[in-house]
Amino acid sequence: MLEHMTPENTSPILSALNTPAIHRRRKIRVWVDRIAKHSMTFGGISVIIAILLIFFYLLYVVFPLLKSADIQKMQQFSMPAPEAGRTLYLATEEKNEVGVRFTDQGHIIFFDMHDGQVISNITLSIPTDVTITSFAVADPTTRIVAYGLSNGQALVLKHDYKISYAVDNFGKDQREIAPYLEYPLEKEPITIDEQGSALTQLDIQLNEDANTLAAITANGRLLLVSMVKQVSFIDESVTLERAIGELTLGNSKISHLLLDKDQRVLYMADHEGRVWRVDVTNKSALKVEDKTSVVDRNVTITAIEFLTGDISLLIGDSQGRITQWFPVRDAHNKQVLTRIREFNAQSTPITNITIEERRKGFVAADNIGQVGIYHSTAHRTLLVEPVAQKAVTHVAISPRADVLLVEDAQDQIATWAVHNEHPEISWSALWEKVWYESQSEPDYIWQSSASTHDFEPKFSLTPLAFGTIKAAFYAMIVAVPLAIFGAIYTAYFMAPGMRKIVKPTIEIMEALPTVILGFLAGLWLAPTVEAHLPGVFTLLILLPIGVLIFSYVWHLLPKPIRHLVPDGWQAMLLVPVILLLSWLSFSLSAPMEIWFFNGNMPEWLETQWGINFDQRNALIVGIAMGVAVIPNIFSITEDAVFSVPKHLTTGSLALGATPWQTMMRVVILTASPGIFSAVMIGMGRAVGETMIVLMATGNTPVMDFSLFQGLRTLSANIAVEMPESEVNSTHYRILFLAGLVLFIFTFFFNTLAEIVRHRLRRKYSSL
Amino acid sequence: MVRMETNTTLTHGIDIASLGRGEPTMSLDTETIALEVKGINLYYGTGKQALQDINMRIPSKRVTAYIGPSGCGKSTLLRCFNRMNDLVDGVRIDGKILLDEDDIYHPKVNVSDLRRRVGMVFQKPNPFPKSIYENVAYGLRLQGINNRRVLDEVVEKSLKGAALWDEVKDRLHENALGMSGGQQQRLVIARAIAIEPEVLLLDEPASALDPISTLKIEELINELKTNYTIIIVTHNMQQAARVSDYTAFMYLGELIEFNDTATLFTNPIKKQTEDYITGRYG
Repeated sequence: MLEHMTPENTSPILSALNTPAIHRRRKIRVWVDRIAKHSMTFGGISVIIAILLIFFYLLYVVFPLLKSADIQKMQQFSMPAPEAGRTLYLATEEKNEVGVRFTDQGHIIFFDMHDGQVISNITLSIPTDVTITSFAVADPTTRIVAYGLSNGQALVLKHDYKISYAVDNFGKDQREIAPYLEYPLEKEPITIDEQGSALTQLDIQLNEDANTLAAITANGRLLLVSMVKQVSFIDESVTLERAIGELTLGNSKISHLLLDKDQRVLYMADHEGRVWRVDVTNKSALKVEDKTSVVDRNVTITAIEFLTGDISLLIGDSQGRITQWFPVRDAHNKQVLTRIREFNAQSTPITNITIEERRKGFVAADNIGQVGIYHSTAHRTLLVEPVAQKAVTHVAISPRADVLLVEDAQDQIATWAVHNEHPEISWSALWEKVWYESQSEPDYIWQSSASTHDFEPKFSLTPLAFGTIKAAFYAMIVAVPLAIFGAIYTAYFMAPGMRKIVKPTIEIMEALPTVILGFLAGLWLAPTVEAHLPGVFTLLILLPIGVLIFSYVWHLLPKPIRHLVPDGWQAMLLVPVILLLSWLSFSLSAPMEIWFFNGNMPEWLETQWGINFDQRNALIVGIAMGVAVIPNIFSITEDAVFSVPKHLTTGSLALGATPWQTMMRVVILTASPGIFSAVMIGMGRAVGETMIVLMATGNTPVMDFSLFQGLRTLSANIAVEMPESEVNSTHYRILFLAGLVLFIFTFFFNTLAEIVRHRLRRKYSSL
Repeated sequence: MVRMETNTTLTHGIDIASLGRGEPTMSLDTETIALEVKGINLYYGTGKQALQDINMRIPSKRVTAYIGPSGCGKSTLLRCFNRMNDLVDGVRIDGKILLDEDDIYHPKVNVSDLRRRVGMVFQKPNPFPKSIYENVAYGLRLQGINNRRVLDEVVEKSLKGAALWDEVKDRLHENALGMSGGQQQRLVIARAIAIEPEVLLLDEPASALDPISTLKIEELINELKTNYTIIIVTHNMQQAARVSDYTAFMYLGELIEFNDTATLFTNPIKKQTEDYITGRYG
């Protein structure tokens, strides 16, 4: 506008404001303003985007956990070498290239899984007048099977694969898998029944120490032949010591026989739907422990299999139901076969159950051509899908659980690709009590890994979430009163000179690396507290009482003495008092321990009250993490209290309120939004804190609120286990899920805190 | 909460020689004296002397106004009456202020009790972030009175006394911060009179308010003087002239002149007073 003015009626100041240099300055000013505005907007939006990215990345990693399984048909071909007899058992090898079919005629047919071409057809050398009467599969990872014969003998063999790499005509590496058979015991059948009765049921387990075969004979006996390896300590030669156990079964008709791989327990299913549990620890004295009815009336057991690890039994029945059982110790310390969980997704008789070798999953086939994929621990039915028109007679799952081999009643064999990466996870597995194998009752357990595949991973996040809350709770118990009272005193009563020292000192504590706090807590505080436990509690009682008594005595002193300390500096007097009380408590600790606690308070707690004492416990975490969050809470609270407008406090004082009344009724009320957010920020920090809980607790994921028990938090768990988890494994993704839970936790609490703070501020802000 | 009516009646004339500089030239014979200021000197921590030997008597149930330029010490003097200056770091006061013949600066005096008897309203409305009701009841609750019936009665009476009742009677439990500035100031006055003080100190009570609210406050002051001794500090000479019975002019920490309002404004004795009221400085 100024440009339109004529120079004549422009005052000197206006013309000075109108020079080109000033114009340029103004333009620059506008640009600086614009740039500042946009870069701030950009910064703010970037923060939001970064948080969203973290959130979505966590979701992206976690998401596969929630997916169900799916299967895709790869190949279908008619049964290779159908003239060789009916299939008794189907299996595949690791690479999913060669399948094998064991027939009831004693033929072993290896075939190409891509087209069903026979690779080799091996005929067993069985005497001509002898027939095959039974078949047994040992632990599938050993690839050992056995044929039971009509003359009371059994032939043990192993299917194995030799992998070689050859360069083909085009110069590429070609993998060749050559199947072959091995005879782990003897090439000739070994005699099980000296009486020569046919073996109608057979099972076998071989391990480094002993080989055991169990069989039911046609004349109604259970035979157990065990060959224990004895290594001579003189020349280290191995001899097999043969032990035979026998049990007469009477009228019971046994339909299935299962021996666990440790060769301690034998299960038999009979035609009345009962499962016999036989203790075979002593190989020559078999003992029937119990007979448990595992199916309803008029329902029969159609399939029975051990879950990986040979602890749980999976029992499929003629109604299509699959139940999981394992022995549980009851109140009388007696093991009882107990039904753990059941799967009801299929409705026609289960024809075949096959287990995954490396997880607690299994596949069940039924009479109308469906297969179901299940996971026991997660109690999850991942998939039930038809794979054949007629009944599925045999189903095999590859060692890596990525291919299904299905044979149906029409003699067709099909291969199906299985996509089932993370069956172990379900809502119940993560958050509810789960009845894990060998546990006496359902429980919340986090125990993510072990050295063997037999181990049932226990992925309950509940103890971790519980530990997180417990640690935060104890830390807040320590931090909140100290920080808030300290802050109120500092802001409201303390002399400005002292405040100038105290406030920055406490705030600088925030910069203390938590790893140092954790280190001190774990290596110094924890043993000190354990050694002086009575002293710690005495201090807790003595300190407030001592401080109050000292204040009262000080108050009674004559004025000249009291005036030696300037107003607002009286808190300094408490420093020697606190030091003295601490010294007193700790020096009284040892005598007290001798007088009252039989010389050892942790032990006394355990014997008298049944309270377990961990050296690195919630008390230590509470103190260490409390110290870590005190500066946070203190600083924000102090600011909030200090910024309560002076006109409110003077208004209150002018109405005849004492300073104490003013503080309680006006100052704290007005500062309440700030105090509230201080507490919430402190809590957010305590929930997410990692290093202190990692180092100051035993990282034991127990569900116990006791002050003297350790704990494990979500964050510490991630820190501890992430380095040892395989990328993209279920464990890895669960750790990310723990991170996501933590994220949601803090997000939820912060949002809630923000809403509450907002309300409080609208109500109590007087600015 | 019985109000003490033990103010001294002066039966004799003014002995100018026995009183310090600035003693009113008019006769306070007919008045009951509420407060007597005797030789008050006030020093700030920096060594600056803010009040110099102030001597005056403040009549009961009248409005006494302090006028003077900024920094003349009128607010400081006002704050001496309820010892609010104690809150300022490093302040040193000597001299006496007698309330009912008792020195309020005696070491045995309970400051909270004193402040209950000498209420104060500040320049900026300062309601607490509580409901209207709780604001008025605050002073009573401090004294431990929590009886609902008593509180209801006092709240109503005080709000009526502050000419606010009709405006807020339907929203007593709403937050006081939702009121207008003028209403807030009257609420603060209601809060002050709820505990029935003997003296009410008003520190520029209308300076932050619009003209209509100012008028209401002035009307209120007029009504309140039937029950309370009112001391008001104001920048606004017209206001002093409108509301007060007596006016004191202060300059550079000294009490220059104290007289009945009409005399002080129409016929000031001191030249400094005349210069000030005619707008020559300040």
